[in-house]
Order: sequence, then structure tokens, then C-alpha cells
Amino acid sequence: MSTPADPTAEPTADLTAEILRNALCVAAEEASIVVVRSAYSTFIVEGADAAAAILDAAGRLVAHSASTALIQCASLRSALPYVLEAFPLTAMAPGEVFLLNDVYQGGIHANDLLIFRPVFVNGAPAYFTGTLIHVADLSGLSAGGMASDAADVLLEGVQLPPVRIATADGLVDDLVRVLAANSRTPEKLVGDLRALIAGANVAARRLEEIIDAHTAEGLARGVDGYLTHTERRIRAELAALPEGTYMGEYGLDDGRRIRVAVTIEAGPPGAAPSGAHVVVDFDGTDEQAASPVNSGFSQTLGGVMYALRCFVDPSLPMNEGCFVPVEVRMPRGSLVNCTWPYPGGGRWATVAAAEEAIFAALTRALPERGVAASGILQGFSISGTARPWLHMSFDLGGMGASAERDGPDATGALFGGGRNIVPQVEPIEARLPLRVEEVSLIPDSGGAGRHRGGLGTRTVLRMLEDAQVDTRGDRLRRPPSGAAGGAAGRAGGYYRERADGAREPLDAKATRQPLRAGEALVVETSGGGGYGDPAERVPEALRKDLADGRVTPRERT
Amino acid sequence: MITLATDVGGTFTDVVLTGADGRTHVAKTLTTPRDPTTGLLRGIARVLAAAGVEPGEVDRFVHATTLATNVILERRGVPVAFVTTRGFRSMLALGRRARVEEERFDLAFTPVEPPVPLTRTFEVPERIAASGAVLLPLDEDAAGRTAREIAGSGAAAVAICLLHSYANPAHERRLAELIAARLPEGTPVVASSEVWPELGEYERATTTLMSAYVGPVMAAYLRRLGAELCGLGVNAPVHVMESAGGVLPASLAADRAVFTIESGPAAGVIAAARQGARRGLSDLISFDMGGTTAKAGLVRDGRPGVTHEFQVGGKGSFGGRRPGTGVPIKVPAIDLAEVGAGGGSIAWVDAGTLRVGPRSAGASPGPACYARGGTRPTVTDADLVLGYLDTGGFGEFRLDAGLAEDAIAEHVARPLGAGVVEAAAAVHDVANAQMGAAIHVVTVRRGIDPRTFTLVALGGAAPTHVARLAERFGIGRVLVPPHAGVGSAAGLLHADLAMERARTFAAPAGTLTSGSAGRDALAELTRVFTELEHTAAGDLGLPVGMADTEVEAVVVRSVGVRFVGQSHAFTIELPAGPVTREAIGQVTEEFYRRYRESYGIDLRDPAELTTARVRLVLPAAATAAPPAHRPSRRDHAVVRGEKRRAWFGGEFVDVPVRAREDCAEGTELTGPCIVTEPQASLLVPPGWRGTIDAHGAVLLEARPSDQRGGRAP
Repeated sequence: MSTPADPTAEPTADLTAEILRNALCVAAEEASIVVVRSAYSTFIVEGADAAAAILDAAGRLVAHSASTALIQCASLRSALPYVLEAFPLTAMAPGEVFLLNDVYQGGIHANDLLIFRPVFVNGAPAYFTGTLIHVADLSGLSAGGMASDAADVLLEGVQLPPVRIATADGLVDDLVRVLAANSRTPEKLVGDLRALIAGANVAARRLEEIIDAHTAEGLARGVDGYLTHTERRIRAELAALPEGTYMGEYGLDDGRRIRVAVTIEAGPPGAAPSGAHVVVDFDGTDEQAASPVNSGFSQTLGGVMYALRCFVDPSLPMNEGCFVPVEVRMPRGSLVNCTWPYPGGGRWATVAAAEEAIFAALTRALPERGVAASGILQGFSISGTARPWLHMSFDLGGMGASAERDGPDATGALFGGGRNIVPQVEPIEARLPLRVEEVSLIPDSGGAGRHRGGLGTRTVLRMLEDAQVDTRGDRLRRPPSGAAGGAAGRAGGYYRERADGAREPLDAKATRQPLRAGEALVVETSGGGGYGDPAERVPEALRKDLADGRVTPRERT
Repeated sequence: MITLATDVGGTFTDVVLTGADGRTHVAKTLTTPRDPTTGLLRGIARVLAAAGVEPGEVDRFVHATTLATNVILERRGVPVAFVTTRGFRSMLALGRRARVEEERFDLAFTPVEPPVPLTRTFEVPERIAASGAVLLPLDEDAAGRTAREIAGSGAAAVAICLLHSYANPAHERRLAELIAARLPEGTPVVASSEVWPELGEYERATTTLMSAYVGPVMAAYLRRLGAELCGLGVNAPVHVMESAGGVLPASLAADRAVFTIESGPAAGVIAAARQGARRGLSDLISFDMGGTTAKAGLVRDGRPGVTHEFQVGGKGSFGGRRPGTGVPIKVPAIDLAEVGAGGGSIAWVDAGTLRVGPRSAGASPGPACYARGGTRPTVTDADLVLGYLDTGGFGEFRLDAGLAEDAIAEHVARPLGAGVVEAAAAVHDVANAQMGAAIHVVTVRRGIDPRTFTLVALGGAAPTHVARLAERFGIGRVLVPPHAGVGSAAGLLHADLAMERARTFAAPAGTLTSGSAGRDALAELTRVFTELEHTAAGDLGLPVGMADTEVEAVVVRSVGVRFVGQSHAFTIELPAGPVTREAIGQVTEEFYRRYRESYGIDLRDPAELTTARVRLVLPAAATAAPPAHRPSRRDHAVVRGEKRRAWFGGEFVDVPVRAREDCAEGTELTGPCIVTEPQASLLVPPGWRGTIDAHGAVLLEARPSDQRGGRAP
């Protein structure tokens, strides 16, 4: 089922169509690179947390940047219709750029800014380029938008329904001044805004070049062909899954649970493109909470698409064709679809749980594809007390083991990301009053099993100035569970290390905890769950673990 | 000036000599894998004899080798120990990998093993700050203990990367001394501040350890080669091709082996760019097909693409350039794609499906038709059966069509239930499809339309496949340079001696252009440039004061510039002359301009310098212009007016066969026909027309009426 992209596999594919498809993907990729390169927030430039997409005026996702978080393309796709509702196509003028962050209109949370720029064909907007990044600060209780005590959305930061941020004359200065005045790091915010617009502009320029080379009709035909082709392929893939309804659930540290029913149905015969479709229903999921653990609908949708795509041909492109055969039911007011004024900033624990719930459901359909649960992104932000500086980062948990393999270390199962989103030590120290004293794998943190869970990491950050810290972790009280008799991974946590070396735990959702100069923040991520009976582990694998120090002799006995 | 250029590939060793008269002599010999110098020396002896040149008359010896690549791909390097700052022993195991393509959706993908196992990774107590200040002195006792552990670990080389060593290399240097003193004499101990002193510990570490991994193998090889050349009487300095298209002195190539990883492939792209430029063609796709692999590279506006982060063993396709997927090496390299399909690739049937490669018959036993004991059918065997090759062979020996037929009959035709010729045609087509993948990666995959480019054929097997490959992509123009069969080696003849050195230099541009503080900073930058220049000159074996040398070295100084607070810098060249306030002002203006052009943002915020970089180029001495191409005496077996049965359009037809050397300037070729030369056989399919230009190159063009818009059926 999983064949890597091989250009020789489709000898009849029309070369022009293929060039066009790739040109669209490259344009989105280039836009995200431009955003990353011209942005100011360390989080973006070192961690490459930016996304870009090309959509059409009907709101269909055409292409997106593949090197960034996959989940973000779902938010860009979800938000565009709300922009069009506020600013009808007919009233749009060339050079205009629109901005939003509203979690109830496809956004994510205050700090994630979404930008859209129309591309005109024959005087009317026909396509949109979109970019998205997490900006350093846009007000809210804590710098960096990480306050876990934000009981409503207004405490998370400045709320932006769809607004016009630029016209052909340049940035809308009044609005920029308001935004800058509401940021603890105004220069970075304005720089990041420019970067977002620059990315959207570059993609728009590429799109115009594509139109020059292929004509507007050629592009429209190519886009239709691309999306239909993708839809046909994913439907065929879904048809290979056993029909039926499968239930799954997964819990958060606070006891709330995400419940899902995944129904795979054969498509109606004769429909074109034909093939199966899937209904993902979160009915029975717990209600939203007055704290930032909820997810807005667009991020849940991204998580659902990611989870489903783990069970189909991984070489499928991510565009509208993938979304069409999937119906997602997200009860309003639940954890997976929060409503005003419930906050959405801490959504990734919920999205991760929704994904684990889908994995659990599909494991019932395909038992041999089962995996143990994984440690997730563990976010934290450190901000200066005396002067404004900000370090935001994620550390990654170990992944769960499967029937065939050990879990990878410290990679984070979600979103298909990798370690490349964790900043290196030297750039952090060159920019910020922090010293990184340790980044290491934690021995014995992977859940035992026939296959061992991936290891978590320990990062020690020493403060060189007085600072305060916000944390945002999950799967720390209820560590990632094992599967098929495997043990759970070791629970991670956040700690304050005093200058004398004494270590005291910080809450997994701590807010503005003081760290004095000389004290350190210790972040430990959870290990992944193990798979199968530990007694069945192959002796050579154990020997290698001992030699590498992934497992210690004490733990073994 | 007499130059010898040599390219050792997986199957063939190519040798090219240009004499004082500008005339070129070539030889192609089989590579001798057990000791590549054997085949190389044989080729050199032949070419010297043909040119009537005494070994002592050779002024320059340029060498391209796939040794470093092969050592890495086949994991044949020496066991390396890695030493870093305490607290970061997991650095390599954690890596900075991205999950791409199919791996993204694999919930338990298998990460690649770290390039150095944890069992040979060590940490020492020491710490330097980003400013270069020593926070914790190097614990020399602990360093000594680590050295003893390394000695007991079986490591044959050591790579050291300590945090912030780009800002202050003192600890790395001292640690290297301490460790070297406790290891057997001559064990390489490589410090990251010597190899690539730039911020970013992970890439600096991997670049360093790859140098340590490959260096000893490269050093041993080059020592042996030097000795053998001396034995032959060739005393010219040995230069080795580096990945970015320049050449390095042999001594340096051993110390900085990581710079030679793309040595061979880079030569082909450089050759293509040069051949195109001579004919006013600036948008080219180089297609270099040898016995074992095929490579494609893109030349736009006359310039080969250069990447600054090469991924060794990376995932995500063909050579693995996808960022974050392999082991990154931070040295400049020509950007290209490579597939494991060449003339020697073995055809086999896998459950009813015909496959070609990735196994290659190499030079030994070689294709069946070489009659050297090979029984497996290869692409070359198929080409021979189809009538595309001259049984007179490639200079050194004849090709046996009977053996080729037998091999194809047994291993392809019979399992497929097809005729021998049909099976051979299928092998030819499948090989074309695979090589098409390399071109696909550098063009279509990047949204670039290959149809506006000229495809340049280089390497022994390329001329036989190039036109059919062009048809697959609707490419209408093909350039087959003179001596295309040894095209990469020919490209080496004109490579410049070059070395790049860089180090972190962080300062606000405003400081450099301001009053008194600016003077100090300018003096510091001047000092850094001078130091880099001296180091680079030392690398190339040039005297420090270069004014009195015969050849003029070209020094290109550049700086990384970015807006304060940003992370990504533009590389901006400094104007010639002293480093002044005005020069920095010009650099800043140029940065603003480039930023506006790239991002469409017109910004004049404060900028800062990040890196000082020097590229020192010693241009290859101008060789005499090649004499105009004249038909000359043939030395192989093609008789004027000969016809040969060859497979075109699904049947055997009698097509004209011409010797390239017989073709005067302006000769018209009309497909179907075959043009042979000692190192290659050019296939001109129906629908193609060619002309021979003044330098003996063939320019093929698809006749408009026959040109197809897409892939050939």
C-alpha cells in the first residue's frame, strides 16, 4: 500500500499537469520558507513553525507547504470561508491582504496569525495564498500566549475577526499601531506580520507566473484535475479498509475524555469519483472547559486528517481531494469544537488525544496496525521580568512502540513533525539570557515491552536574568499507555531547579512561575508506551539498549 | 601547460590530457575496484603514449573520485569517536531530523542510526559562552580519562565539537592535543572549529565527524596515488575535485575529505555548464551516465545550482537532499540528483516484473558482453543486442554480442516469456525511465519545465540514451560535447583551484560604520578576513604574500547580513579594497536591495553581520585554445558508408553508422543513425537531426513536425 512517490510509476501522466502540480506545491513551500527567513520570533526562525497554502476562491485547498506542520493547512482551509463572508469576493481589490486569528472562525488562538491574499484573474479574485505563524506576543495573561489560567478567549490575547491588514498602498497603519500597542514585543510582532505578508506575496507572484506559463484556463483545469485525482486515490485507499463503525477514546491528564466513532462506508456505486468515505464522529466527547485545553474546530479537523492519513497511502498529496470523502462531526461546545468564550490555545493535548482515539478505533479495524500511545509536544515559554524577552519552545515526547518496532525517541507523534522543530543550543544562547546545560535522552523512560517505547528527553535551561515561566504539558499524570501487554512510558514533568541543585516540581500547566537568575527550568518529556510482553524482548535488543544507555542495569532487574 | 585529468568511476576510469598545443587525448580503462590506482595508471600510461608526452612534462594532475561518497554510502569509513560538551552526549542520537513523505504518517517509523553510536560518544566538562568567554575551564584530567576510553573503544579517528567553539576554539584545540597524545601516532583528531566554524552545533558536529570518518580512507588512497604517480615519473601537483566545482591540493583533500563528497558528479555539471556557455546555451540539464549511476544537474543562467547543506544518506529521493532527513554536511556542493542506473546495471525479473539495477556488474565481472566472466545481463548488453553499440567496443576490448544475447535470453526473455530482442528493448526502456527519475527530481519535482532546457550528454553510456530520454520530457535540444564519453574528466581540465573558509563574525552594521567604536570593529573584521585568507592560502599551498607569485589569486570576501533579530542571513560580497565604513555601507545597501527583491519588503531597519567568508580561487592557467575540429584518421572499426541493423520503432532497420572523427564541421546527421567514437556511441533516433559544430560537438534537435509534447509512448 505504501509506495514512495515514484515519478516512473505513472508513465502516462501528462507532463504538463505534473509540472503544474509541482509548481503549485513549490510555490507554497517557497512561501513558508520566505516567512521563516524573514520572521523575527525565535520560535519561528529556529523551529520553522510556519505554514503556507494555496487555495482557490471556492475555498478549496490546492497545495500547502509540506515541510511544516501538516495540521496547519486545515486551519488555513477552514478560515478562508469566514474571510470571504466578511469581505465578499466582489469587493476585493488587488493588493489587499486579510488577517484573522479567531478560533471560532477557523483560527487557532490569539498568537497564531493567518494571512490571506487574493490573486486576481481577469479582474476577479480566483485564488488565495495563505500563510500562518505563531507570533511572539499579542497580549493576553502571559507573554507568548501560553497562559494556562486563561479562563476565556479574551484572556488569551487580542481577538482578530477577519480584518484588512494591507491594501495596495501598504500596511493599514491604524491597525498595525493597535496590534503593536498590544504586544509585549512590538517590533517582533510587526516584523512577523511583514514576514507573513511577504510569504503570501511570493506565493502570489509564483501563481501569477504559473498563469503566465499555463494560462488561467490551464491552471484551473490543472487544479481541478489535481484535486479530482487525489480524491479518487484516497477514496480507493479508504475502500481497502474494512467497512464498519469502530469506537475509540483517549483521556487528558485532567480526566476529560475524547470519544470517537469512525465509520468506514463503501461509496455509492456509480458516483464519480467513486470509492469509500469516512465519518468521524466525536459524539460523547466531554464538554469544553473554562481553561485552554479545548481545540477549535479547524485544529481538530487537522488532527483527524493526520490520523486518517496514517492508514492510507502516505504519498498522497494533501489537498482538497483528501478532505472531500471525510465527514467530521464535532459537537459544538465540546473539547474538540469550543465555542465563545471558551479558549483554544492549549489545543494540542486535545488534538493529540483525538488522534490517539482514532488510532484506537482503527486498530480495532486493523489490529496488526496497532501502536502504543506516545508522549506529545511539551510546550513552555520563558519571559524576562525586567525587560521583554521571550523564549518559546516545544520538547518532544517518545513515540509509542508498535507490533513491529521500537518507538522512536523524542520525536512527538503528532502532526508528523520531527526533531527539526526543536531549536539548537547555540542560537538560543546567542540571542537570549539563557544557558542550556543539558539536552539528553532520559534512560529507562521508554515503556517496556516486546518493543520498547521511545525515550523522552531532559532539557535544563539556566536563567541568566530573572524570568517567569509558563508550561503546557499533558500525558504527565497519565503517561502514554502501553499496548498488547506493554508498559506505559515514564511520565515527564516540569521542574524548578534551585541554585543549590534542589529540584521542585512545577505544575504541568503552570503560569508565570518566577525563576530567578541562577535557577533553572527542567523540562522532561514522557516516554512512549511499550508494545507486547516485555519478557518477549529479544536479548540482542536489550543488550544494545544497555550498551547505549537507553536502559540501565538497575532498571533491567 | 600540460594537464592530466582523471575520473575514477564505479566501472570506468577516464583519463584526458591536454597538450601544449591545446589538443586533447583521451583513454577509457576499466576501473580496478581492489586498487583503483592500477586502472588509473594504465590509462595514464596509454594517454601519455598516445600524446607523446613524457611523464615529467605533466604540469598539473586533476583527479575526481567517488571515494568519499562510496565510503559514506557503503559505511566503509573508519570507526569515529565523538566528543562534545558535558550534558550533550545525546546530540547526535537526537539529531534534527524531519519526518518527510511516507515517514510522516508512519506511527513507528524507524529513525536512522546515529552516525556515531552512543557507545563511542563521550562528553567532557568544559563550557564556553556564545561570547567566547570561558565559563568552565576544560577539565584536563577528565579529558585524559576520556582519551583513554576512546583508545579502548576501537575508534580510529576522533571528531570533537564543543559548544560555541566557532567563537573560541581554545578548548577544542587543547582537547584535540590531549586526545591525540594518548592515541596511536597519526590517528586523526578533527576539531569542528577547524572544519566549519559556524554557529549551529549539530550541523557543525556532523560535518566534523564525516570528515573524521572519511579522511583516513581518503588520505591513504591519495598517499598511494601520489607514490604511484611518482613511480611513473609524474611529479605534477595532485589536485582533487571538491563538491562545489573547484579543486583542492591532495594534502588538503585528505584533511577535509568532506569537501570532496560530490567530487565526481560535480565535474559533470561543471563540464555541462562550460560546454553550454561555449555555444551560448545557459539553461542546461547535465545528464551524466556511467557504468554504475546516472546523475542529473541543473544549470540556469549559466550557473550550476549550489547547495550549502548536503544530506548524506537522506531520505526523500535520489541523493537525499531533503533537509533534515540525513546527516547534514555544511559544505557547498553542486546540487544534483543521482540514481543507481547505468550501463552496468543488472536487469532481472522480480515476480514477473522487469527491473534494472540497483546492482551493477561494475568493472568486474562487467556486462556479459565484456566476456570477462559476467553472466548477468546489463543495460550495455541490451544496447548491444539492439545494435546501438559497436562491437569494436570502448577502446580496450571488443564486445561479444552472443554472450549478451545469452544473458538476456536466460535472465530476462525466458522468465518474461518474450523474445530476446523485445526483452532487450524493454531493458533499454526501463533504464531510460529510471534515469528519467533523476531529471524529474531536478526539474518537474521543482515545478521547472524541462522542455525549455538543453540536455547535455556526458559519460560513456549517455550518448546512447540521451535522445530517448529527451523524448520522455519533450526536450527538443541535446548537446553531445566532444569526448562526451569521458565528459566529466574533460570538465576537470579547466577546474580552478579553490578554497572557502568562513567563521562567525557577529557585529551590528551600524557599529562598523560609526565613529571610534567602528574603527575597532573594522580593524577586527579586517583581521578576520586576513586570517581567513591566510588560512585559505595555506590550504592551497600558496605563499602568504601572493603578490610575487606568477598566477594571480582571486579573493572573494563576503559577509552574512541580516536584520537585527532575524536568524537567516544573505551572503553579500564585499567590494574590493580595504574594509572601510563605505564598504560596509555598500554591503548594507546591497542587503536592503536583495531583501526587497526576495521578499518584497522595503525595509531599512538596523542590519547586522553574522559571518565572514573568503573564497580563494586560483584560476586554472589558460590552456591553448583547442584547435578547430578536423576529421582525422580513424583508429576504430567503422568503414565509411557502413550500415548496421539497429532496433528502431519496433523493428530492425539498416541505419547508417558514422565515425565521429570522420564528420567535418557542418556535417548533417539525420535520424535514425548512429555516430560512434572510441568511448561512446551516439544514438540519433528517428525525428532527430544533428549538426557537428566547429569544436566537434553534436547538437541534436527534434524536428518540429516530430516533436512530441510529452513522454514518448
